[in-house]
Amino acid sequence: MPRFTPSLSAIPPSLIIGLVGLPVCIALYAGLVGGDGATWDHILQNRLMPYTLTTLLTLFIAAVIMLGLAVPAAWIVTQYEFPGRNVFSWALILPLAMPGYVMAYAWADLMGVSGPLQSQIRDVTGLSARDYWFPNLFSTPGLAFVLASTLFPYVYITARAAFSMQTRATLEAARSLGASPLDLFWRVALPVALPAILGGLCLALMEAAADYGAADFLGVQTLGVGIVRSWTSFGEPNTAARLALMLVCIAFVFLIVARLYQGKSGVQQTSTRWLTPERSALSPSMAWLATLLCATILLLCFVAPIARLMWLAVETEARTTDLLPLLRSTLLLGLFGTALALCAALVFTLAAKRSRALRMGTRLIAAAGYAAPGAVLGLGALFFLRETGQPLAGIVAVALLVWVYVSRFTSAGVEPMQATLDRLPKNLDLAAQSLGSRGLRQFWQVDLPLILPGALAAGLILFVEILKELPATLMLRPFGWDTLAVKAHAYATDERLAQATLPSLMIVLAGLFPVLLLSWRLNQGERK
Amino acid sequence: MSAIHPLIADQVSRSFGATAAVEAASLTLEPGEITALIGHSGSGKTTFLRLLAGMERPDRGQILSGDTVLASDTQHVPIEKRNIGLVFQDFALFPHMTALENVMFGLRGTAKPDRMKIAEKWLDRLGLTSRRDAYPHHLSGGEQQRTAIARALAPNPVAILLDEPFSGLDPSMRDRVREAALSAVRDAGMPALLVTHDASEALVHADSIAVIDRGKILQTGTPDALYHQPQRVEVAKALGPVHSIDLESLPGQWRAAIGSTTGTVHYRPEAIQLGTGEPVMVRGSKLAGAVTEVALALDETNTVYAACQPGAPLLPGDQIQATINPSLVFDFTPKMT
Repeated sequence: MPRFTPSLSAIPPSLIIGLVGLPVCIALYAGLVGGDGATWDHILQNRLMPYTLTTLLTLFIAAVIMLGLAVPAAWIVTQYEFPGRNVFSWALILPLAMPGYVMAYAWADLMGVSGPLQSQIRDVTGLSARDYWFPNLFSTPGLAFVLASTLFPYVYITARAAFSMQTRATLEAARSLGASPLDLFWRVALPVALPAILGGLCLALMEAAADYGAADFLGVQTLGVGIVRSWTSFGEPNTAARLALMLVCIAFVFLIVARLYQGKSGVQQTSTRWLTPERSALSPSMAWLATLLCATILLLCFVAPIARLMWLAVETEARTTDLLPLLRSTLLLGLFGTALALCAALVFTLAAKRSRALRMGTRLIAAAGYAAPGAVLGLGALFFLRETGQPLAGIVAVALLVWVYVSRFTSAGVEPMQATLDRLPKNLDLAAQSLGSRGLRQFWQVDLPLILPGALAAGLILFVEILKELPATLMLRPFGWDTLAVKAHAYATDERLAQATLPSLMIVLAGLFPVLLLSWRLNQGERK
Repeated sequence: MSAIHPLIADQVSRSFGATAAVEAASLTLEPGEITALIGHSGSGKTTFLRLLAGMERPDRGQILSGDTVLASDTQHVPIEKRNIGLVFQDFALFPHMTALENVMFGLRGTAKPDRMKIAEKWLDRLGLTSRRDAYPHHLSGGEQQRTAIARALAPNPVAILLDEPFSGLDPSMRDRVREAALSAVRDAGMPALLVTHDASEALVHADSIAVIDRGKILQTGTPDALYHQPQRVEVAKALGPVHSIDLESLPGQWRAAIGSTTGTVHYRPEAIQLGTGEPVMVRGSKLAGAVTEVALALDETNTVYAACQPGAPLLPGDQIQATINPSLVFDFTPKMT
């Protein structure tokens, strides 16, 4: 058992743990004991059951699509040589830059009755719009497709890592025992990589469960949508809290399962030679088939939606008139949020280094914030505000919103900093202390300079995450504080897609930076 | 059981870019024999094994099992169709399968109970009966290696190739595992290739040895023949320490014993025997396990190195006597004929 030694240096981290953990705790508390408003029967029958079932169905379909996209792509990229392999290997991560709601706008336009796909069908066949069946994006499977197409890189990244870490010898041993290439995949590579793949899938599903924007735009009644509507439209805070409790439970299950699988990356630990499997050549026709598969995935999940949005922006000469104030409030909120979350993450990381009890506390709270969807945290903040009796306006609302950002994204900032620290020699602290550097001096002279590269990466990631955040911003922003995400969503739900394109594209552009950073770091890791 | 044929490499070459990894290498692996292939890292021994196994395609030359062509200019039987057993340095067991399932992996074409019986037989042969349901990460290094050997032998392959199979093991268990593993391989009766950089392993355990250097197989023969009659200095060096010296600097009695008078010769340290003979002076000595290495001054500038049984301590400056055993002196200078 870690012994708890009270000390002054434990106060700031403890305070920040409280700050980060409070919104989700309030929301959970309200969900468990909140007793006023609509009856439990009404909530269960009319709200909780339908929202939950829709959410679970969406997640199930999304899981199937993500596995179908990511696992074959990861396998051929790690095992075979084919035209464009080098580019696809990292480009298949790019869809992560697109928030689900932007993907939904683009596909809604691509697949709409007057969109390019249906027009083409009518031109070619001469049929009219009523004479043929066309898949409807505004449906549960449609939402699942949209979410899967932005989130499948989570699965792709873990599958690629798991496949490329399998020793060449293991695969060659299987072949020498008569295994065909297909056998190799089904009997050896996939079972070995499965824990890692499921871990990645759970993280992706956790993100999918947290979606609000895509579901709201596509009119699919998921829990995220339900929470916001129950509060804003139905005036049933009690229902919102119950839905939030359910959503947090679902998200936590995924997070816990992902963490369970993370330990066992599925790679044999006895190997002394961890060679990346040598990629085999394919016959020309098979090689082009592999290229076609990867190109199709990239086209569907990134190129086509982006190209469509760009085309829309140019063709309609869409002018988002109030772009300047939008940029100003987005930038301000992003900077406030990033600065505070970065400080919180820094305190967490350093505290975790010093004390085991604090490490457990910070990990737990950071994970709670990470798993809790923005809608839930926004709800927690609203309950908090209601207790204090303050109106949701002005500086109070801005502070509340920044607080929710800190609560939601601190853990995203801890990770890159932790990764930087993990790479350092373990005895560095002792070395610094043996040379007389302690406390604040150690922080300025040793810890801070060392952690800086990780902190810069963390800052970038945090800023973009905040920029993309939709549900909490939507719930809490005061008048005049619309962000790019909020405005894009407002235009899109208003069926003014053309006006939504410019803010959407700006979000994607910003989102590309952390994704490229991630891709670069993954490549560095593989080269080691 | 199918008839057992030798596995033959005939003038096999393989280059990677401009580097020739294996050059016109010929070697015949006889059934029931363990042939050791020794060379230092980068000598081409692993590439040669990969060519035999079918993981690489030769640029030129043929690989045959008996009369069956496995690889030639026109043909290439892929690894999964060759039925050649492989054992790797890092064991390469399937981490998601038990020891029994690992051994059963290569068995096919029969009902599951039969396959289980065959696998159990092999686990039993290698002393692993009690570990059959253990996963690789619960097995010790030695147990993993024996499981890997059982897995390679179970499908009754036409040959078995072992790539540094014992160098990953703890020295304390290496001898025991090696004994058990190699006796199972020898009993199985198929041709076996043991790739190693450990000369003593090859000398003790192989029936014949091939020395490979810079992609070329320099000499093949029994351990005794290679140790005592190496045809090239590289072969002599591959099998144990050798030193070189000018004949002119040797005492006359030694030159007479060797039988020639000019040029450079190589000798193994145990060729110098202390006791009687020519007077020499001790320059230094150090204990190296089972033997003592002694540097002996012949005169101001020339030194020879001897390996002898540890005995009374030899101190620098001691005057002693020594003879030379000509059978451990090699003359590699090209003979005019």
